[in-house]
Parts: sequence; structure tokens; C-alpha cells
Amino acid sequence: MLPEAFTAALKRDFPRDFATYDPKELLELGKDWTKVYAPAPSLAVLPRSTAEVSRFLALCHAHGVAVVPSGGRTGLAGGAVAANGEVVLSLSRMRRMEPVDVLGGTVRVEAGAVTQAVHEHCAPLGLTWPVDFASKGSSQVGGNIATNAGGVKVIRYGLTRQWVLGLQVVLADGRVLELGGAGGGALEKNNTGIDLRQLFIGSEGILGVVTEATLKLVRAPDELDVFLFAVRDLAAVLALFRAVRQKDVTIMAYEFFTDRCLDRLLRHRNLRQPFAAPATHYVLLEIERQATDVDKFIHEIFEAALVTDGVVAQSSQQAQELWALREGISESLSATGLPHKNDIALPVGGLEAFCGELDALFAMRYPGWEICLFGHIGDGNLHVNVMKPDAMGKAEFLRETKAADGHMFALVEKHKGSVSAEHGIGLLKKDALKYTRSAEQIEIMRQLKRVLDPKGILNPGKIFDAV
Amino acid sequence: MKILCTVKRVTDPEVKLKIGADQKSIATDNLKYVLNPFDEIAVEEAIRLRDKHQGEVIVVSVGPSDVSTQLRTALAMGADRAIQIVHAGELDSDGVARLLQKVYEQEKPDVVLMGKLSVDNDSWQAGPLLAEYLGLPQATYASKNDSLESDNEKNKVPGITIEGTTATVVREADGGIETLKVQLPAVITTDLRLNIPRYPSLPNIMKAKKKEIKEHTPQSLGVDVTPKVRVLKFELPPARKAGVKVADSAELLAKLRSEAKVIS
Repeated sequence: MLPEAFTAALKRDFPRDFATYDPKELLELGKDWTKVYAPAPSLAVLPRSTAEVSRFLALCHAHGVAVVPSGGRTGLAGGAVAANGEVVLSLSRMRRMEPVDVLGGTVRVEAGAVTQAVHEHCAPLGLTWPVDFASKGSSQVGGNIATNAGGVKVIRYGLTRQWVLGLQVVLADGRVLELGGAGGGALEKNNTGIDLRQLFIGSEGILGVVTEATLKLVRAPDELDVFLFAVRDLAAVLALFRAVRQKDVTIMAYEFFTDRCLDRLLRHRNLRQPFAAPATHYVLLEIERQATDVDKFIHEIFEAALVTDGVVAQSSQQAQELWALREGISESLSATGLPHKNDIALPVGGLEAFCGELDALFAMRYPGWEICLFGHIGDGNLHVNVMKPDAMGKAEFLRETKAADGHMFALVEKHKGSVSAEHGIGLLKKDALKYTRSAEQIEIMRQLKRVLDPKGILNPGKIFDAV
Repeated sequence: MKILCTVKRVTDPEVKLKIGADQKSIATDNLKYVLNPFDEIAVEEAIRLRDKHQGEVIVVSVGPSDVSTQLRTALAMGADRAIQIVHAGELDSDGVARLLQKVYEQEKPDVVLMGKLSVDNDSWQAGPLLAEYLGLPQATYASKNDSLESDNEKNKVPGITIEGTTATVVREADGGIETLKVQLPAVITTDLRLNIPRYPSLPNIMKAKKKEIKEHTPQSLGVDVTPKVRVLKFELPPARKAGVKVADSAELLAKLRSEAKVIS
């Protein structure tokens, strides 16, 4: 229950449409793309400015009210889930974008700006913010920053972290920090002590609420060529990657998926089979054309017998169709069943050995489970999706996958990988954190949390349990 | 069976077009070109018919020299050889039909397959005009009874049925499906739901490089292609105005009546 003095102040000091109590809206605003937690927020607020966010957090701070910051809610680790009567702080109304600074190659936007809207805002000037993924039509800049989002172009551009020059953050007690240049500026170079901005990027809303950011832009790529290859096995996926990386081409994306992903995708959506004969492993490669001699490139790949079949998009429509085969997978897995998702990273060089051991582990302990494997293989990032067998109940499935996760994470640790490559920890991977971060590191995280949010009101219980 | 199949280069429908400075053309800077999607369907159908009945597929295109890119795409899909009529200037549907008439007379195919329209000019003329000039039967907007998710489609069964010298063509008509029988040789134009064209595979793209593209010009074919249709002006549709929010259905109805004047 929220303190009466808090709700009274909320009614007195904020606009009438600042908060919503509508149960239907609350159910939506209290959850993300994870399906495992029942949303139960007490109310949701939708501020229109940083000043309102600041005043509201000061109020929450005074009354010890827990807050879950919320963006486009496309997260896959439960970071934006409000399951314990928290107040959801949605940034959706704060979506203003300033004109692009063409000379500086930056744009200042509010946290609620939708990723795709930012792309469309910059496109006429030949610039782009190269943070790009399947959920770009819903995901918001603030959420991208809070989760240090990855996506399909990481191999070319890196994570969100590299594309944020300035950051405005509101702390738990309402203080506003400008973490770029002085007074909200944004500098490429600014070596003045510890870079606090980076501390907030990827902190999943437990240290502060992102309200505005100055984004670094890059020249939009030239014409792109999109290939889809059929290959024999995972070893061939990696051999092809090695070969492509040695060629004189700029790789924009190197993505991989298996026949099981494709089967479920084609069951769910009306997309065409890319090849006459089905294969077990598929690679989507996107390169920037520039000076590339595409014909020679294709010729060499076939000469080296790295692939069994392949197609290249002949038009932007075909390029979109090929991309849909990769980007539609996550949605199709959820639409055709209940996937248990894992998002792990391995050193690229260790992927093959890891996958071999993973196969053996699953075959022995969980025979008959359908494993759908896809991911950003060029970054060493695998999405391991275990589908719930039809005959198994949901509770049993969750129990079983938890046990399986333990075994898999131990393998990840052994191969010097990460239990969460880009999805974050949120609620879902809390138990797994210890496989990638040492006890000392986790204790320092907790200390930082206590300094910035002494009352523990910001996204409590995310990343680690609240104390 | 010899199948002649036309392919046109069109501007990529995904690219936003700009009107040229003369107001009578489309600005060609930064334009991307693709194979007309309806012609892609015609090529796919031609390949399926050839695979079923043997013979060859000849693709033909009219346009500047780099139209060879689109011809190579059709060759990579599986066409056997190509003819390119090199012409960089203006051209209307009548000019196209008269050029194709000459190609037809040289090649004497059993059937001509064409897209029902090209997505750039949207004229829908070239197919019917060609049939008229050749005095051949025509069946326009070929579709099929099977759905695009059917096993027949997955197995790449042609939607046009040919038995002896008769082709059976299913087409969508107002309120139903119409089935036509035409005597071959004939001109058949293809609609969207006839098939799902294949992606050209990379091995076939490599092989396509070695296939023959024979060049002609309007002069070498003895055709005067001076356009009979004159373009006076291109104009963009008016920009869409911002919408307004209405409070309830009563206000909506009132606005539809008094402002939009679409109901009475």
C-alpha cells in the first residue's frame, strides 16, 4: 500500500493526468517482453519533463516508495517488470528530439524517444544512431541506455555505451546530473576524473533514471548487400566467419540461426523458404558495398566450399525479407510456444568447443528438448532458447530449466564467457550473476547502489536482491 | 516449349522518388533499380513451365545498357538466355509493344509471359498492345486457385496449365474467379497471386554470368519508338495534413458531415 501522505501529495502537486490507476494500463506498463512475471504495479506515472521526474523521485524518496523506470518495455530479463506494488515511472511522454547538430554529429533527445524515430529523424541528413535491433519500433533511447542494448549491428558499431556522449540522469532523491560536458554539453573528449556517465549506462535503472541524452551519430552506411547462406554445421558457420573477416569488406552483421528456428518462424509467419533444399545452419551476412567486388566475393566463398547454398537480396524488399528470417525468430518462438531464453557470450574462438559440450550436456540430461539456437555469432553472442515440451507443465518446465541453466552457466564460466551478453540481469538472471562476476565485484556494485540510492527505492530487486 | 518473358527495370518501390527539375521526369540521382515485381512472377512462371514441359526461357528487356543487371537476375533465377534492346531515351507502352513484336517474329515462341503492369508507370498497356499487334489471343492477370501456402506452390507447380496447344488461365474477376482457355501462341500477363518467385541462388548467379545476352537496338529492329504519349507534368500528391482528435463518435460524425463532407 502506498503511504497516504504520498498519494495526497501526488494529487496536490502534479498534473491531473500525471498518474494512471487504470488496471488495464497498469498491467501493460508493469511488464516487459518476459512472460514469467505477473505485473502488479500500484500505479504508474507519466511525467512530461525532467523537472517532473525530479520532483516525483524526491517525493518517492521522502516516503520510501519503490519506483520501476520504464521505457519501451522490450527487455528480456524482467528489468522493467513491476511485480511487487512498485510505482512505474514511464518515460513515454518525454520523446522530444532536438534538431541534429550536423557539424558535431550529435542529437539531443529525451529518454522516451523511440529508437526508430531517432533513426528517421537523422536519416534525411545522411546520419544515423547505429543502435539497431529487432524491437527498434518500440524500444526507447532511455531503455537502450539503461540496458546498454546490443543488437544486430554490434559487430560493426559496438554497444549503446559507445554512442552516448552526454547523459542527463535523475538520482533517487531527485538530484539531476548532467554527465557530458558542463551544463548539458557533450564532448568527444573529456578526461576529467571518473566518467560517471558510463556508470549509469547498463545499470538497469538501479542507480538513476535516464531522462535525456546526447547521442553520437555516424554516417549512414552506403548500399548494403544482404546474403543468406546455408552451411553444414556450426564449425562451418565459424569457418565462413573467419574467411569473410579476412576479406576486404565491411561486415555490418554476421548472424546465425538453426533449422529449428526457421521451422518455427515459417509456421508462424508467411515468409518464403529461402532455399530449394533445407539446411541445418543458416548465416545472414550484411556487408557495406562501397568498393567491394561482390561478384568476386561470392566467387571466392563458393570456391572455398564454405557454404552449401546461398542467396543475395536483389532489392531492398528482398533484403527486408531475408532480415525478417532472422529478426522474426524471437517473436515466432514466443508465438508458437514457451521459450526459456538465455543470452550468453563466449570468446568467438571458444564457441565451437563450448557448443560441443553444450550439445553433449543437453543430450545427456535433457533428451528430447527442442533447443533453438540463434544469435550474433560474430560477437560470440548466442541466444539459447529451450522450448517447453507440450507434455510438460509450465511450473515443471521452469523448475527443469533452472536446473539446466545451472549446468549451462557452469560451462559458460569454464569457457570464460558471460551469462548475459546483452539482455542484462534484471530479475531473470540474478542467480546467474555469480558465474560471471566475482563476489568482490558484486559487493562493489552493492556499495555503489547504497551511495547513489541509500533508501533502495530505484528498481529494487533487479540485478541483485534488495537488502 | 519456347517461352518469351519480358522483364523491365523499375525504380525500387522502397525508395522515395523525387521529381526532376524539368517537372516532366523522375530525378535519377541516387535511384536504385530492381526487376519489376510482376515480371519477376512472370519469370518464375516461365521457369516452372519450362521445367515441366522442357524447352527454353528467353528473357527480353528494353532500356539503357545497365538493364543487363536485371537480365542477369532473371538468368540467375533460371532463364536460359537473354535479349537486350538498348535504348536510353523516352519510351511509351506502344513503343515497347512494337519492339517486342519484332522480337516475337524473330524468336517465334509458343507463349509470351509478361507482368500485368510495371510498378513505375502503372500503364497496364504493353501486354494487351502486343497481343493486338500480333493478332494473338491474350489472357491477362493470370492468377491461380491454389493458395500461396499450398503444397503445389511449395513444389513449384505452375499456376498456368498447358495441354497441347491450349493454355488454361485462372484470373481474379469482380466477385469471383474466371477461367480462360486460350489457343497458343498467346500473350499471358501475370498477377501477384500466381506464384512466389524464387531467390536467385549464388551458384546460379555465377552460372548466369556465362549465359548469352544478345543486343539489339530499335534501329536494328527497324522500329520507330518516338513516343505517342507526351508527359506534360509530374506532381507529388498533396502532403497529408495533421489529424485532429475527436472526443466521441457524435463529433466524428458531425465532422464527417460538415467538414469532410463524405457522408450526408
